[in-house]
Amino acid sequence: MSDQILSVQGLEKRFGGIHVTQGINFTLAAGEQSAIIGPNGAGKSTFFNLLTGYHHADGGSVTFDGNNITNWAPHRIVKAGISRAFQISNIFSRLSVAENIRTAVHAHQGVAMTFFAAAINLGGKEVDRVLALCGLGDMAHITAGELSQGDKKKLELAIAVASRPSMLLLDEPTAGMSLQETKETMDLVDQLNQDLGISILFTEHDMGVVFNHAKRISLLHRGKLMLTGSPDEVRSNKTVKRIYLGEEA
Amino acid sequence: MELGFDFIFPQLMAGMSRGMLLFLVAAGLSLIFGVMNILNFAHATFWLLGGYITYSVLTLFGPTAGISPLLVIPATLVAIAVLVLIGFAIERTLVQKMYDRDVPEQLLLTFALVLIIGDVIKLIWGVEDRSVFLGLPPVELFGQFVNLYYFVIIGVGITVFAGLHLFLHKTSFGRIVRAAVHSREMVEALGIRISTIYMVVFGIGVGLAGLAGGVVLPLTPLALGADIDLIIQCFVVVVVGGFGSIIGTFVAALLIGVTYSFAIFLWPDGALAVIFLIVIAILIVRPWGLFGTELRT
Amino acid sequence: MNELNARALARRIVTSPIRLACLAAILVISMAAPVVLSEYWLHVVTEILIFGLFAMSFNLIYGYMGQISFGHAAFFGLGAYATAITIRGELAQTGDIGWGLFLSGILVAPVIAAIAAGAIGWFCVRLTGIYFAILTLSFGELLYYVVFQWYGFTGGDDGIQGLRPPAFILATEAYYFFTLMVVVVASFVMWTITRSPFGYILRAIRENKRRASFLGINVKLYQWVNFVIAGSFAGLAGSLWGPFSRSVAPGLLGWQKSGEAVFAALIGGANYFLGPMLGAGVFTFLHAYVTKFTEYWPLTIGTVILLLVLFRPGGILSFVPDRIWAMPGTAEIKEPKDTQKKRASA
Repeated sequence: MSDQILSVQGLEKRFGGIHVTQGINFTLAAGEQSAIIGPNGAGKSTFFNLLTGYHHADGGSVTFDGNNITNWAPHRIVKAGISRAFQISNIFSRLSVAENIRTAVHAHQGVAMTFFAAAINLGGKEVDRVLALCGLGDMAHITAGELSQGDKKKLELAIAVASRPSMLLLDEPTAGMSLQETKETMDLVDQLNQDLGISILFTEHDMGVVFNHAKRISLLHRGKLMLTGSPDEVRSNKTVKRIYLGEEA
Repeated sequence: MELGFDFIFPQLMAGMSRGMLLFLVAAGLSLIFGVMNILNFAHATFWLLGGYITYSVLTLFGPTAGISPLLVIPATLVAIAVLVLIGFAIERTLVQKMYDRDVPEQLLLTFALVLIIGDVIKLIWGVEDRSVFLGLPPVELFGQFVNLYYFVIIGVGITVFAGLHLFLHKTSFGRIVRAAVHSREMVEALGIRISTIYMVVFGIGVGLAGLAGGVVLPLTPLALGADIDLIIQCFVVVVVGGFGSIIGTFVAALLIGVTYSFAIFLWPDGALAVIFLIVIAILIVRPWGLFGTELRT
Repeated sequence: MNELNARALARRIVTSPIRLACLAAILVISMAAPVVLSEYWLHVVTEILIFGLFAMSFNLIYGYMGQISFGHAAFFGLGAYATAITIRGELAQTGDIGWGLFLSGILVAPVIAAIAAGAIGWFCVRLTGIYFAILTLSFGELLYYVVFQWYGFTGGDDGIQGLRPPAFILATEAYYFFTLMVVVVASFVMWTITRSPFGYILRAIRENKRRASFLGINVKLYQWVNFVIAGSFAGLAGSLWGPFSRSVAPGLLGWQKSGEAVFAALIGGANYFLGPMLGAGVFTFLHAYVTKFTEYWPLTIGTVILLLVLFRPGGILSFVPDRIWAMPGTAEIKEPKDTQKKRASA
């Protein structure tokens, strides 16, 4: 068994009477970059919410980096090394781009509870590094809420990266992006994975992105993990075609 | 002190009367918050205004001592009508502008209304207390003498509760109002203009406060500043009962009324503290109250 | 460099000396005040300083963290009573108060307030929005009620009378300078905290609580710490009040007093560090002025608040061009370019 950074077993979640997550077993190897696909409502976001502690799991377990993190508080899970970029930009609108990243850096560096030093004097190098890495260097002082949609998603990713995670969860990272922006974003994601060794799990609807940038693809449908395989295996799989395209098996 | 029936019964009656009065005032507050998500700090001030208007109408019939009790009815109706109109006006001009704003600004607006309307009352009616003496004979019940007016209040309270319940559950407009408590979007999706609903609900809520003001007049004198004390008690009732739930308001009001009546006898210095501890406990353990729906964020 | 970015950066660089110059001017004026103002108005200015400190402490919760508390005056009042109770013994016996006891009276106030804020805050940070407002209101009223009823210890409705500063700073002018010194130092400490990493975490929590937790921040803990800090500074403000007004009364803890802090923040501008101080000034001057002509002060201030909330919720300082005084993290967001384009082409 390869070095698994994430191991999910029998994960369950119900909302009222609806069984949104049904016994998911899933693993991610350290340094792997994989994708989860599935139609809308399949439970992809719920799965991420469960992994990051935003929802309380009704059953099963999540093991990360050797620790059982099931139902840990979100901030504790982040400290353990999981970071998440959201599908709808979830940034700090009235802070500048640099301040957005700096807040994440301070939180990660454990200096957030500092009262008597000026924030601008701490973590500057790290903030610059993240800005440069994510292509936001020339936007450092712009108010985050005024960025274009594409730049907001860049910031979204940058904030997640600033926490120096060992595993990054990306919620539809290229949603609503132009071809150029998609390429830039996924190049960055590849770079994070290959150069920095961050394990990456992302959800996507853009099949081109999925097949070109995922080592392994898992299909989620109605809360169940239907299958896992390499891009070729998934591309030719009949179940996938049926679920996505409604073709007869 | 004997805790026998002689003691319990009068306290219970006083408590139920008090509870009913609280219900009458708080019902409108609960309705407004449940439907529109606006906490109307000025609600008790509307109550006070209703009381003063009722008083003024009554003075038209002659001196207010020994006045015929039946006259309270038309006087109160006038107060209700005036307050409903005021409610419509305030909703259209002021409250309407606050729906998209944050909670703090909404609270500040209604807080400002407390100050403004309170002073307008002072401007019109001056600083003296206003009271009405009906001269009703006490009723003997179970060997105790009880203020007859308590029964009037309890009767009105039950009628209003039943009326509101019927309105919300049996009329189509009422059902729409209940739907709006759960989901504004759902109501709009049905093609109903939510702004009209809000205006009517605010008007009804304020009208109820006016009714409560008129009803209480024969029982206690009205004084400037009574609204400040009462609004806190209203918040307590609405929190304990659950915003937007009329049953909750009714049960909570009776609970608080009776609890306070007994508390003030057993522990006069700490009676109000008991009430505050109850509301604090509810907010911590079950913020949406006994009958409310879970927090809408 | 991106043009927008360059302009934003330039703005920050340019406004710093302007701000410093304004601050220097304010300091000079406040030092000169006793020379220019009559004793009555100097007394008013001292009141403004105390009230302003109270309002600025409130703004840590309101402007910086985005929650409204209607129970903040409880900490102000507790501070006032703590000081009063500490110094009343010696005052009753000797008619004067020594420096040692007076200073310990001043220092014990924020400590008592901090303990109360710690206990109350632990419960309150579990809620937000309107429920937070009502819970803080309830705790405040509970404390008001306790002070009101505990006649033996707090003097109940009568309050505690006969308070005064030590002989050395008894004169209006002297107490003014003492208050000015305390308020300036306290403000500087508060200001330092708002520029610290902690201060920015608070802003982040205000902007997006969920995302803040996804940075690894235990949001409730930070909210609690902020609540305690805010309560402590309110207590410090309260400590100055008793000797100043010669008495303390339960009303100092009530929700209407809490409301005054909210008014001050609104009037001056909650998005500005000194906004509440300015608001306190406007409020107090207005009160002193209006009550000379009419007894309808609530109507006046109510109307002012109403108009401000409706038309200028940013407060007076929002009129300042380019928002020179605005604290970082409160920019008004202009519509992003691509949304503008979409609307233009639609």
